[in-house]
Amino acid sequence: MNALGRMADTVIDVQDLFRVYRSSSGLLRKKKKETVAVDHISFSVERGELFGLLGPNGAGKTTTIKMLTTLLLPTSGRATVLGFDSAKQPMEVRKRIGLVLGGERGLYYRVSGRQNLRYFADLYGVPVHIRDKRIKEVLELVGLTDKADEKVEDYSRGMKQKLHIAKGIVHDPELIFMDEPTIGLDPQAARDTRHMVMDMKKRGKTVLLTTHYMYEADELCDRLGVIAKGKIVALDTPKGLKDLVRDSSVIEVEGFGITDVELARLRALQGVKAVSASMSEEKQLLRVQVSDPGEMVAKVTDAVHGCTIIGVKVKEPTLEDAYLWLVEGNA
Amino acid sequence: MPRLRAVTTSFRHQALVFFADPQWLIPNIIAPFVLTMVALLLYRDVTGPIVLYAILGGGMMGMWGNTLYASGFSIQSERWWGTMESVFAVPSSLIWIIAGRTLWNALIGLLNGFVVLVFATVMFHQPVQVQDMGLFVLAFSLTLLSLSCLGLVFSSAFVLTRSASVLTNGLEFPIYVGTGTMFPIALLPFWTHPLSLSLGPTWGIDAIRYAALGSSQGSFAQGYWGDLAIMAVLSVVYLAAAVLLFVQVDKVARRDASLGRF
Repeated sequence: MNALGRMADTVIDVQDLFRVYRSSSGLLRKKKKETVAVDHISFSVERGELFGLLGPNGAGKTTTIKMLTTLLLPTSGRATVLGFDSAKQPMEVRKRIGLVLGGERGLYYRVSGRQNLRYFADLYGVPVHIRDKRIKEVLELVGLTDKADEKVEDYSRGMKQKLHIAKGIVHDPELIFMDEPTIGLDPQAARDTRHMVMDMKKRGKTVLLTTHYMYEADELCDRLGVIAKGKIVALDTPKGLKDLVRDSSVIEVEGFGITDVELARLRALQGVKAVSASMSEEKQLLRVQVSDPGEMVAKVTDAVHGCTIIGVKVKEPTLEDAYLWLVEGNA
Repeated sequence: MPRLRAVTTSFRHQALVFFADPQWLIPNIIAPFVLTMVALLLYRDVTGPIVLYAILGGGMMGMWGNTLYASGFSIQSERWWGTMESVFAVPSSLIWIIAGRTLWNALIGLLNGFVVLVFATVMFHQPVQVQDMGLFVLAFSLTLLSLSCLGLVFSSAFVLTRSASVLTNGLEFPIYVGTGTMFPIALLPFWTHPLSLSLGPTWGIDAIRYAALGSSQGSFAQGYWGDLAIMAVLSVVYLAAAVLLFVQVDKVARRDASLGRF
């Protein structure tokens, strides 16, 4: 039995996956550079699960998803998707999966949303007699029916994202990969997208998504893999990850004039586990994870002396705090 | 995924994208007009069949230029739009998707050649009389297919490079000269002949002229059917080479992560 109370049925099995990018620069004296994007990761995803890969920019999330969806070859290691090797049996994998790559790009702007969907439905081999019915269904599902015959170049960012999702599910795949599906969306569009993802899960689909939004990961995912510098540093349910920092507290400091100097000073303090900061020009908000807030509040306020402090609060840790603790190398 | 469906759907999609972008008027209406003018000015003191030879040459230049330009531009556009990865992720082999597009591009090249003939007849009052219209259309159509096969070979390189437009510009004029569009390749240095003879359209152009003029005008072909046979063999070779190249494209693109770059 798995964490969802069902018989285990592994649909993604990743074993020791490793990917390095090699590049060179210079004309005469070529300098070769190697960047490890994914560093020997292993995990599995079970049928019906909504699994999230959570990590900062450049952590290796997109590289992992590209290897699983056959767009990239691993340098070493193995990934099996729905029983097929993603490196050696790409066509078998492609027939059965949907891929949603977010962002402004990835669509044919000069033609309509419906024409985009028809093209991909044909390329995925959706039977001709059900193709138009299926396109109608997915347009309704993502709420684009009224705009289906307008050119994509006239779509808003949120509508483009909806079309990305429709494109990824037009062939009714059993497993859907989504790379940062809400990035760059306004709150309303992001919420609509999250509802669509939840709807896919309700329909029995397995979903693997990447994100760096804590709220999204907490709300959507059954399980999370936290990825940092190419390695999986934690693999658990959102609750399990939060439990990792159960013994910690967060001192939240709001003020003006806080700079990187104060941040460095805070990070160097003994007893500080992790520090995150929201640094706008108007005001700054710091979240300092500590084990003993009673002892640390004075030290933290002392570290930001000279800055204008609006308020200091002690709070319970969130998934974001667990994530920060993990990606700052504490696992 | 049946190959034929991949070809037909990408052919239709390419047509949609093509007409949605108004810049198609430049290579397909303005360029043929210029090519016709150049051809007629070059041969303005000449009369008789040589004028038709020049006009057909202008048409072939338009056909080839457009096939090459459209093949390179369509792949370059895919990179700009970020759709290369989405297309690569479908369970249809890339070669058949590109083949559908290349067929459309070659068809537009054919239109281009036709526009040259219309301009020559209507605007420049040059009588374009074809000896055998049936054989002329057949040779034109088969040359279109041969151009598509050659375009497919080049497309494999376009998929891998971020500079398809540079390659397109670099290949345009050598092929004009090498295939003998404006003058017989016999006038070229001997060392260029193997290259010229290895290009299917060279034989196609000869067959078209053979059908139009009723003779091969001192060219190397023994006759219309011989030209077509050699072009067919070369086209099959191109197609086989394209299949092999696209297998490599698949490997290299997945190894180097080059599809998402633009």
